[in-house]
Amino acid sequence: MRLALLLAAEACIVAAVLLHSSQFEGRLLRSDPNAIPNNAALLPFARERGEALYGTHCAACHGQLGQGDTERGIPNLTDDDWLYGVGSVSDIEQIVKYGIRSFNPKALNLAIMPAYATARPSVRDSSIRALSPENIRDLAEFLLREQGRAGDTVAAARGAELFAGAGGCYDCHAIDGKGDPAIGAPNLTDRITLYGDGSRESLSMSIAYGRHGVCPAWAARMGAAEIREVAIFVHSLSHEPRRTETDTRARSD
Amino acid sequence: MPDPTEPLWIKVTGGGSRRSFVLLGGGALLGLLMAGYSLFTARGTSTLIVPPEDVALINQQPISRSDYLLQLQTLYGVDLGHATAAQRRKVLDDMIREELFVQRGRELDVASTDPDVRAAMVNAVELEIAADAITQQPTEAQLRLYFASHRARYASEGTMSLRDYVFPPRESAAAAEAAGLPRFSPPTRAFLERWHAASGKVVDEEFYFAAKIHLGDRLFEAARDLVDGGVSAPITGAEGIHVLYMIKNKKPVPFDFVAARDRVLTDYRNDAIGHLRTGDEAFLRKRANILIAEDVR
Repeated sequence: MRLALLLAAEACIVAAVLLHSSQFEGRLLRSDPNAIPNNAALLPFARERGEALYGTHCAACHGQLGQGDTERGIPNLTDDDWLYGVGSVSDIEQIVKYGIRSFNPKALNLAIMPAYATARPSVRDSSIRALSPENIRDLAEFLLREQGRAGDTVAAARGAELFAGAGGCYDCHAIDGKGDPAIGAPNLTDRITLYGDGSRESLSMSIAYGRHGVCPAWAARMGAAEIREVAIFVHSLSHEPRRTETDTRARSD
Repeated sequence: MPDPTEPLWIKVTGGGSRRSFVLLGGGALLGLLMAGYSLFTARGTSTLIVPPEDVALINQQPISRSDYLLQLQTLYGVDLGHATAAQRRKVLDDMIREELFVQRGRELDVASTDPDVRAAMVNAVELEIAADAITQQPTEAQLRLYFASHRARYASEGTMSLRDYVFPPRESAAAAEAAGLPRFSPPTRAFLERWHAASGKVVDEEFYFAAKIHLGDRLFEAARDLVDGGVSAPITGAEGIHVLYMIKNKKPVPFDFVAARDRVLTDYRNDAIGHLRTGDEAFLRKRANILIAEDVR
């Protein structure tokens, strides 16, 4: 009899936890994703669960702390520089769900850096022409100049012409070189680099052989609530967490 | 006092095995009835509640909340918190309309008649297969192994600067004279003015692939092996006799794994996608009943 009562109590606790969890997920999903970072009731729970999911699915590439890896072209998630969008929870959620160049039909895959040292720099756009070794050196000098680094000013001037002309770079990176977060074209005028150390050599490598990093789509592998939790956690990596009532209580405990 | 006339299996405190069997049987019967009802009414999966991850269910087909938010953002540049009621309604109505038409399209089997729909479906299935391959992240060891077994693919593109001197077919002696010049001694201006200038096919430093296009396969093969300052033997072609003078030949340099990693990963994934697609097609063919007319077998 006692055993039956214990089992019944245990079942009740499990049911209560599941019910609470499902209610929480419901509230999380029905909320405006961009308002959740300011929601003291939802944020801590979502972030905690998101951290665990991030560790399982994302940390292998992005690193446990979200620091990225410029050697592999994996973006740093802890700074405020966003390749796609403005780094809002909904922007991040879309990427987690559908990926980048992931072959998911809804993935972000508008921009692919051409490989200018190949006969056909862009598989998609046959109008993009290959560049000569000198052209590539000039473009690298131009980018170094734009980033405020020392270089060959004459070559940089030639590179500027190429950037805004025959090279076609302006088409994605914008005429001022500041990029376009709508298509994931990086800002080339700052010193934040996705690939390499920003040196002449690494810039030349990017221009010569192209770049097209991939982020998988998790839509088929994670539930909607899990995806949102990961997005909230990733968002929190670059945003100072607001001190919530729960946090304060946890600290005092 | 317990009622002696009460059947033993009803007593809660009793330990009769008959009660267990009755409850077990009752549970099984209830389960069978529910399963049978669901199976034969085809309403087993229907629901009246819209799941939190969706904004609507159209004949049980969900319209995803995140797609709805994205659509709001795309159409009006606003997030949910800033969208007006009219904007929300418009987006939802559009999405419902689309879903209804897609469902109607399935009923009409438009894929059997519309080549665009067929192409889109083939493309979608191929994408789905590829997406599966992308989600499986290869380990560093797998990538290194792939790199080691395809080493030749990963090298820089070579570059060359050269002059291609063309002599008329009847001037083979002059061509031989030019070809016989010692290394680092390009033909003199007087010599060239007397005969012909460079063809102009390769003017500045060029990548190998570009030089190959400009020179043609035969001349490029001869040029590729020349060292800096080297002169080729006369090569007879349609335009005359060519003599190549190499100014600088920078041969392809193999990349190490770190430099090649990005391309290795892409190639690894492309191979994985290719294998998966082949496997999926084989599976589809295996399970399909394909009859082919005798005259086209």
